[in-house]
Amino acid sequence: MTGPEPDPTPTTGSAAYRIVVMTVSALTIGLCVSLAAIAFVDLVFWLNNVLLVSPRTRVQVDGMPWLIIAATLLVPVIGGLLVGTLIARFSPEKRPLGPPDVIRAVQLAQTPPGVRAGLVSTLASVISLGFGASVGQYGPLVYLGAMMGNLPSRLNLRIPNFPAIAMACGVAAAISTAFNAPIAGLVFAHEVILRHYSMQAFAPTTVAAATGYVVANVMFEREPLFLVQFDGVAYGYEFMLFAVLGLLASIVAIAFMRLTLRSAAFAASTPIRPALRPAVAGLAVGLTALWLPDVMGVGREALRFATIEGAFLTWELALLVVAKIALTALCVGFGFAGGVFSPALLIGILFGALCWMLLDATGAIATSGIVAYAICGMMAVTSAVIGAPLTTILIVFELTRNYDLTIAAMVAVVFSNLVVYRVFGRSLFDVQLARRGIDLSAGRDRAWLSTQRVSGLSSTTFDRCSPRDRAYAVLARTHRNEVFALDTEGRLEGIVDTRSLADDPSTRIASVMAPPNLHFDETTTLPDAMRMLEGFVGDTIPIIDTTSERMTGVVKETAVIRAYLDAIDGLRREENAPA
Amino acid sequence: MRLHNLLTMALMAFPVPAGAENDITVVSWGGVYEAAQRQAIFDPFTAATGITVETETYSGGVDALRTRSAEAGWDVIDMIEDQAIRACDAGLLTEIDAGEIAPDSARKDFLPGSFRPCSVAQNVYATVFAYDDRAFLGEKPVSIADFFDLERFPGKRALLRDPDVILEWALMAEGVPIGQVYDLLSTDRGLRLAFRKLETLRGSILWWKEVGTPAAMLADGRAVMASGYNGRFFSAAQEEGFPITIVWDGHVVSTDVWAIPSGTEREKAAKRFIRFATAPERMAALAELIPYGPTRRSALSRIGLHRESGVPMRDRLPNSPQHESRALYGDTVWYARTRALRKRRFEAWLQGE
Repeated sequence: MTGPEPDPTPTTGSAAYRIVVMTVSALTIGLCVSLAAIAFVDLVFWLNNVLLVSPRTRVQVDGMPWLIIAATLLVPVIGGLLVGTLIARFSPEKRPLGPPDVIRAVQLAQTPPGVRAGLVSTLASVISLGFGASVGQYGPLVYLGAMMGNLPSRLNLRIPNFPAIAMACGVAAAISTAFNAPIAGLVFAHEVILRHYSMQAFAPTTVAAATGYVVANVMFEREPLFLVQFDGVAYGYEFMLFAVLGLLASIVAIAFMRLTLRSAAFAASTPIRPALRPAVAGLAVGLTALWLPDVMGVGREALRFATIEGAFLTWELALLVVAKIALTALCVGFGFAGGVFSPALLIGILFGALCWMLLDATGAIATSGIVAYAICGMMAVTSAVIGAPLTTILIVFELTRNYDLTIAAMVAVVFSNLVVYRVFGRSLFDVQLARRGIDLSAGRDRAWLSTQRVSGLSSTTFDRCSPRDRAYAVLARTHRNEVFALDTEGRLEGIVDTRSLADDPSTRIASVMAPPNLHFDETTTLPDAMRMLEGFVGDTIPIIDTTSERMTGVVKETAVIRAYLDAIDGLRREENAPA
Repeated sequence: MRLHNLLTMALMAFPVPAGAENDITVVSWGGVYEAAQRQAIFDPFTAATGITVETETYSGGVDALRTRSAEAGWDVIDMIEDQAIRACDAGLLTEIDAGEIAPDSARKDFLPGSFRPCSVAQNVYATVFAYDDRAFLGEKPVSIADFFDLERFPGKRALLRDPDVILEWALMAEGVPIGQVYDLLSTDRGLRLAFRKLETLRGSILWWKEVGTPAAMLADGRAVMASGYNGRFFSAAQEEGFPITIVWDGHVVSTDVWAIPSGTEREKAAKRFIRFATAPERMAALAELIPYGPTRRSALSRIGLHRESGVPMRDRLPNSPQHESRALYGDTVWYARTRALRKRRFEAWLQGE
């Protein structure tokens, strides 16, 4: 068993070597991820155009209404069949990958799923998005970034914490490129992926995020996701309203996340084969889109309309919020490959606009217009879903370059997060991971320690005897202080302190052995062991297999304490690592 | 000058009989634009080849090709690109092989997308709005939102009776960023929003049809703001001295093309004409007379001062760098394919009057 990083001193190069290698790696990762992200987005865009998902091409076949109906119904279904087949046939993981997989790999210092699974998942998400499924693009981009960031780890670069930092670099570059927001990319990598600040990680992720920004802006001149005009918050009391909006948004966020989780559980309980499930969700999207075309794909047009007063009627907004929540939960749960980030943006902005419309309809209070409320709603819902309040605040700042709007969004975001954190959890990703047995809610150290089992520290060399043996026979065979009395099946009956045997060599073991007051099994984790060791007297603790009930080995108390201290020290070193 | 223009236009209204072998008939838009073309292209063409250029005037559209072309013996026509695309789809134009107009090496000099099956891009123009300086003595309109602001800038607006451009402007005035105008206008919601904005101007609109009219409406005080082509407003201000100011905000940059009506009997001479007219020096010469930007990069560097007023012409072009950030580059294919829909909705809106 090792710490998050084996003791680095003997294998690492000089500080200058580390800085140079880390910077070059960050630049390379940033450049490659950024280009890949642009290719991803462009491919989706092209598919949307060709397959008549985007309104701009749909309107050009205005003369052929049957074609639009056929495309609306068939395209998401065909996309679903392709995605289902792709994942079921070619993915070793048999599921699409996303941010939770990255978080797991980074937090637990584990190897992420293989490149093949990653490529299949990425292709599946291109198809999902391209064929109009109601899923988001940022989750797949985050995974793509982490996957590419993990590639240099195959070279033995002799840098502590390299895999985690390199994956964070990839994620930072992906977000930086996709949102045109380098600071948000950098913060996202820390807030969601790394979950600590160290200069060693901060410097390269900054380089990667800046590289992504340069590629997106200088080389390709990408349009930002949205631009809004906002003249400032007119009335001080509106900040109270933003806080209330944040609280209301938390309800929407919780409903969205609960439904997404439940939809996945429901999908698993249906008799429909996994390969066919996405097609079912696709059919639902197509049928809904016949009446509500805004639900298809990422919904860039609806995102923009939500900030324009009067673009939607009140009931239209309410209907769209409900439809988008239901369809996204269905699409994600039924196996389309894609994220929840962009749908959360859309749901949130529509909800914010809805709240403003209702408020405005009362005529009771003067407000500074729909924009602030729409943006606050958008960020309040999104930040709670992805568990990244700082990132979302910065996204507002970088996309709108509007200070007033950022402060307004900040208020809404914090109140939404407060509620969701208490009622639901830190984010959808964390809850998904918790359901897979990885609980990050008590902190990254606890989560990491919880994956460390004491059985890994055990030794199978211990002295055993039978309860029927005589003391002198045992003494003749051992020089240890403790001997374990096992029955014929190998089950532990008691523990003998050999120092007490010399007094009466003819006595039977059964009469002097002490009942085992403490044992570990193969599932005991380091923190459990530390807790159980309180008040323990002795040198070694037996390990007993839960199924066979046989004793399989022993672990020394000092080894447990040593491993615990090493693990804590490894995390401490990672979090305080200099550049 | 204006009287002269009107006379020219009146004369052009009579169809010129199909001339001798050494004539070609070029159809253009009349007025100062056609006068500039004569000076920069038609006369030099005659001098170089001995082929006389007869001109006819029309006001754009695809229907003119159906109704007038054959009878009047049209050989070359100056068209707006999206109309040329529709005319090409309808089989009203002769296909033009790009190689016949420019060799491979020269084609790279043209802006991307200049060669389409039936047309060759010749210049870029902008649909802008301009205002009468005398109408607003204090605050001046500076943005497309001001065009729709009847409170701060009261008065009649002269607009082309057509769904092109005005719907785009309506969305921009609602705060839609230029890069998303076509995306949003492609949705039913976007169209409704645009017409809702247009509705706020109802009762304050004077419709125009002839391209020379908007400048005239500003000049004689009938309207305080008008949509129109930047070259026409430029001429009215620089050459005729009217107090007209162009607002470079949300201007829609479109492409003007040369095309050959199907059924011409002088296809060879027509192609020879287009070859001549799209040479960089001819494009530059035209741009020195009227601020329509060349479609060849090498032509841009040749453009000097306006021949009469001495104004540096590169600053006045729709594709000059300082106008870039607030320009909407027209998606001609989108225009061509959505024409029927927008026209239908526009007519329905007009019915509401």
